[in-house]
This record gives sequence, C-alpha cells and structure tokens, in this order.
Amino acid sequence: MADEKTLPEEEQVATPDAAPSVVYDDAAEEAKFMAARKAQIEEDRQKPFDPNAILEVRHLRKCFPLKKTMTGKVTQELIAVDDVSFKLMPGETLGIVGESGCGKTTMGRAILKLHQPTSGQIIFDGKDITDYKSAQMREIRKQMQIIFQDPYSSLPPRSTVGGILSEPVEVHNIVPKAQVKDYVLELMDKCGLRDYYYERYPHEFSGGQRQRICIARALSVNPKLVVCDEPVSALDVSIQAQIINLLKKLQQDMNLTYIFISHDLSVVKFISDKIGVMYLGAMMEYGNKKDIFENPLHPYTKALFSAIPHPDPSVKMQRIALQGDIPSPANPPKGCRFHTRCPYAKEICKHVTPNYKEYEEGHFAACHLLDEE
Amino acid sequence: MSKEKKARGYLSGREIRAITKANKKVMKRLEAQKYRKAEESEFLTEMKDPGNILEIDNLHTYFFTEQGVVKAVNGVSFNIPKNATVGIVGESGCGKSVTSMSVMRLLQGPQGQIYSGSIRFKAYDYKLDEKGKPVPAPAGSATPYEMEEKVYDIAQMPMREIHRIRGKQIAMIFQEPMTSLNPVFTIGQQLDEVTFIHTPGATKEDAKARSIEMLNLVGIAMPERVYGAFPHELSGGMRQRVMIAMALAADPRLIIADEPTTALDVTIQAQILDLLRNLKDKIDGSILLITHDLGVIAEMADYVVVMYAGKVIEQGTVEEIFHNPMHPYTIGLQKSKPTLQSNDDTLFNIPGNVPNPINMPDYCYFKERCDKCVKACSGEYPCMVQVSPTHFVACHLYDKEVDHG
Repeated sequence: MADEKTLPEEEQVATPDAAPSVVYDDAAEEAKFMAARKAQIEEDRQKPFDPNAILEVRHLRKCFPLKKTMTGKVTQELIAVDDVSFKLMPGETLGIVGESGCGKTTMGRAILKLHQPTSGQIIFDGKDITDYKSAQMREIRKQMQIIFQDPYSSLPPRSTVGGILSEPVEVHNIVPKAQVKDYVLELMDKCGLRDYYYERYPHEFSGGQRQRICIARALSVNPKLVVCDEPVSALDVSIQAQIINLLKKLQQDMNLTYIFISHDLSVVKFISDKIGVMYLGAMMEYGNKKDIFENPLHPYTKALFSAIPHPDPSVKMQRIALQGDIPSPANPPKGCRFHTRCPYAKEICKHVTPNYKEYEEGHFAACHLLDEE
Repeated sequence: MSKEKKARGYLSGREIRAITKANKKVMKRLEAQKYRKAEESEFLTEMKDPGNILEIDNLHTYFFTEQGVVKAVNGVSFNIPKNATVGIVGESGCGKSVTSMSVMRLLQGPQGQIYSGSIRFKAYDYKLDEKGKPVPAPAGSATPYEMEEKVYDIAQMPMREIHRIRGKQIAMIFQEPMTSLNPVFTIGQQLDEVTFIHTPGATKEDAKARSIEMLNLVGIAMPERVYGAFPHELSGGMRQRVMIAMALAADPRLIIADEPTTALDVTIQAQILDLLRNLKDKIDGSILLITHDLGVIAEMADYVVVMYAGKVIEQGTVEEIFHNPMHPYTIGLQKSKPTLQSNDDTLFNIPGNVPNPINMPDYCYFKERCDKCVKACSGEYPCMVQVSPTHFVACHLYDKEVDHG
C-alpha cells in the first residue's frame, strides 16, 4: 500500500474556479496550522483525565517510515493516523468507517498498543498507557482485546477450540486451574457454541462459527474494551446478522465497550452509539449516531451515505458521485485531504488544512465549507 | 471408529477408496465426452423462446470429491432475455459462481463436471461451409467472413470448440481484479491479446487502437499511459475498469460479472456500477450479475434469481422479489440486512447454517432454518410454483395441492 505508485487519473480534473482573489502561500499556511496544532496539543496535555471515560484518545498519531538515510534518519514517512482524538464512556460503541487505506485498522491497533503510537496520548481507565513497557502492558491486555476480520487465518489450525479458549484464561490466571474447563464451557455457551465443539479443530467450522470462537477467545479474559476490526466483513448476510446480534447481546450482558471498525455504514449504524468517519488517516467527522445520520456535515460523509446501494428497486438515490480513487497516503494532498474528490471544493481547500472543530454539541468535523455559513 | 466420529461425518479409508473408485468411473466418461471430436451439428440446437439470449435448463454441475459427490448446482433453470440484466443472489456456497463457471466451461476438471442439463446460447458466429471453414464475405461488408445467428448448447460443446464462445460471445469479469490480471505483462499486452485471439488477421496497430478505444469506453482518463502500465501501478477501481475493458474488447453478447464490486470500496463500487449500467446500453448486450449484496441487485438487475444450496428457490422481476418476496429464505435475507433507513434494535437473523453439501436431505433444504414450516415440508423437495407470469417460487406454502396442516 505504502509506496505503490498510483497513476494520476480522473480526479485531476479541476473544478473551474473563478480567478483566485486570495493568493495562498502553502508553506506559510502549513506552518501556521502546525503551530496552532502544537499549541493545542500542549494545552490538551495539561487537562486532567476524564474520570468517567474508559478510553480517551488525544491527538493520536502513527507514522511508518518509508525511506531512511544511512544514519537511520527518516526522510519520508507515511502518516497512517493523523491527530485523532475522542472519548468513550463504558458500555458505548464507537463505529469507525472509512475506505480501505484510511488508517482505521492502524488506529485500532495503536489504541491497543499493538503499534507503538508516534505521538499522542492513550488514556485507558484513568491511566496514561502510551509509554507503558510490555511488562506493564501485560496487565492492561487483560482488559483490552481485539477481534480480527478474517476468522480463517486468525485461529491456530493445530489446536482445538478448547485449547484456543483455555490458553488466555491460563496465561492471565482468570480462574484457578481446576475450573478452567468449566469456565471455558460456560463461555462457549454464552457465545452460541455447543459444548462438544471443545475437542474440535478450527477447520471443521464454518466462517460464522469460527468468528464465534474468535469472539469467545477475546472475551475469555473479561475485557472492558474490545476492538472489533471488521468482524463481519468476511461473512454472509444471514450469518452477519447472527454475529452482530451476538455482539450486541454480549455487550449488554458484560457491559463491554466496543470500537467497531467497518467499511459497511449500515452495519456501523446498527451497532454504534458514536461514529467516526476517517479519510486518509484523519478524522473527518465525529459525533453521535443520530447527529451523523440525520445531519451529516462533511461532504465525504454525505458522499459515503449516498454511495450505498439501497435494497429497494423503487428507491432511486440522489447520488453524490465521487470522482477517482483515494489518493496515496504516502503523499496526501495539500490543504484539505479530501479536496481532490470533493464536489464542493473551493480555492481555500487546496491550500489551507481545515481545523477539526466542534460545530454542534458533541459533533466534530473538519471542513472549510462549514466555516463560511 | 467411534460413534461420535461417525456422527461427525468422518469416513474410513475403505469408504473413501470406494467413493474414489466410483467417482473415477464417472469422471473418466465425462472427461472423454468433454475432449471428444464433434461435428458442429452435435451441439447446435434451438432456443425455446427467441427473445432469450441464454437459457439454462435443469443444469446439474457436480464436484466429485473423495468425501462424496458435491452437487454444487442441482437442477438450475433460468433464462436471460436480450438486453436485460439478470442478477443471481445467494450466500457463499449456494452455487452461484459454479453456475457462471459452467456457462463459461471453466470448471476445474476432472473433479468439476457438468453432469447433465443444457445451456443454450444464441451466438452470432461465422457461417461455416461443408468443410468447416468460414465463408468469406462479399467485398464491402463490415466483417471479413459471413456471419449468422446460431444456437449452441454449451453443455454439449467439446472443449476444442469452446473458443468460439468463451471470451468472444460471453465474457467474464472476475471478483479479484488483482489476481485476475497477470502481473508480469502490461495492461496493453493483456488487452491486445483479446483482439489477436478473436479477430482473424488483426495487426498490432489494430489491436492497440481497439485496446485504447476500450480503455476510453470504461472511463480511464489517460488510456495511453495505462496501456503501458503494469497492473500493480493501478488502483483497485482502475484495475476493475481494465478488467471490464478486457471483457468488452471482443464485443460480447453476454457479460458475466462475478461479484465485480465485492473487493472495492463503496465509493468506487458506485462508480463501477454506474459504468456497467451505462455500458449495457452502449454495447447492446445482456449482463448476468452475480453478487451477495441485495443492494447491488436492487439497483442493477431487471430479473432476480435467488439461489440456496445449489437450487433456485425463487425467481422473478426485481420488483416482485423486493416488494413481494415469497420464499421464507428471500424474506429472511432481506430482513437480516441492516439498512441506513431502519431503526430496529435487534436484527432479524436466519438461525443455523447451510446444510452440508455432500449429504443433502430429501426434503426442502431450508426446512431446518425455516420458521414457517408446514406438514408437507417433511415430504419431498418442493417444485416450482408459478405465482405470476414471471414470478416462481419453490415452497410448499404456495403450493395449493399440498397439505398445509
């Protein structure tokens, strides 16, 4: 994905603009924006942690080096996650949507510290875990878990379901050794797995059953936070509904907090309380489900909604057609990242990065068009 | 062998050897049939309805595995009218892709075989003389040879004749554009190949002109540059456009699109669907669209075929299937898809899984997952009931002659 050379294509067709009245100095605008952001980060760093929130993410940034000099100095980097901030209360579900390559998976993994964040703060349960060493993380890992997308490759083929599910229980000393089997069987029952599956191997199961095993494995250590990374994308519609209902039921029973990553907006709408829309590593819009769906602010969110085919032949959607593809994240466009595909792009969008601001109560967005109104 | 293992469907070595032996016999016969030398008259036939371009009639496609015979397509019949888009919808493993592979004769032999049934296709092909050579056209006509309409039975065609149809009359767009394009050849080389194979006497310049024309048609902005590019230089959406260009290069009458947008993002999916819809009118052909996404079907198709476990369980026009679904599976499938408009708390879900394809029951395959079972459902498999001139459903609920107790 990183240094894939993409050919310039249709997106380059610029919208016919009137002669620009203001001439923008790209470098100066960039410097101004970075200075303002730096000040904001410093200011936020001083703020106390929210005692009610289970997870607070402040200005999270994750870069991957693309090119290095002989001395190891990074000359070019890919900014996978750029300045993402949000807060989650216990029992809530945050849905993250975006196209492939927008950094949603990297963000999920950075929160679990499976990738060490480049900068920013992750505050989990009142503790700043950003700089925790792996030994310290071990205790935290009990409380945060992940469910992966592909249930076929995320289960070890040579252990039985019983082995897969007992291992985390034994490692983290969740229950005394003698009770492990009973504990696992109870867990399997909760996740809709029959008890005689205990001796079976992953290859004997269908995709939906395997995803249930993955869910059971994630829940075996009684976590507080579960990152679900596209858990239903590889499944059929009827199985998808079973898994989503299971996730919802478990959330109520165990008071779980989910970060639900998906590219399918309709699934995200179904399960989430809050929704974040990402594009090229940055959060474009964030807010409560109701606000996002009833009053989307950002043109990208609107375009995403209109792109979903509606399963009713008599409904003809008014489609906002996006031209071209998502640009390479190794070389994101200047100014607003979305301006190359935005149907409403103005001159300012090409030069000045829009600020991520709160426009309504709890509803954030980053777009110049909103400032004008 | 323990009772438990038996119950789980394990086979002993002896049983597997017996199955393999029986399979070998059938596979040998079918392979010989596939690679035989045959006169054209052997696979020429007539269409039932001249308005159709493809008629699939009671098609059975089996896979002979050492665990037993998998009846991937088990008696499928449907028609594709001229200039229409027919959508096949179903879950994975329901046989929708195998149906399309059977039409293209791309099944992996010797295990995968068309066991019986017929696939009638109305082709526009060269007129042949007694020796089997194409008849040159009189001077001044558009094509170098005389053309005529013929109806082929694809299921009966020997493999050496299949090139008359495959890639030329029927083209296919595959799901994964990255794995379907060859990474070591440029887009231009791969596109030109289509013209070289299907147009006799085409020169390099002809082929290039045709390829660039096709790239233009599918909306690629800089066709000259893409012509010289390798597949890895293109994005997913562009690769899928190239695949579509390749399918169109030989002027096909029927395009089979096997999950053309599953691997793409929603915004790119919207672009590709728009493109396909516009192209259908431009090229004057039909589309067979295979997908598991009901939204895509609703938007694209004129007729819908719903498949479940290798059988067609319901078919009709798109309005009939979406506004008046009759089979419990179709109803469940539509209810279990979350939409942007719905505001329910729990999703409807169809319990259970698709039955094991090796040991299919005698009764309705959907009985175990169905919430509307009647007495007759334990009896034999329901036959197709006609509800309206275009709407058919295979369910005992709508069969007036059976016991509904």
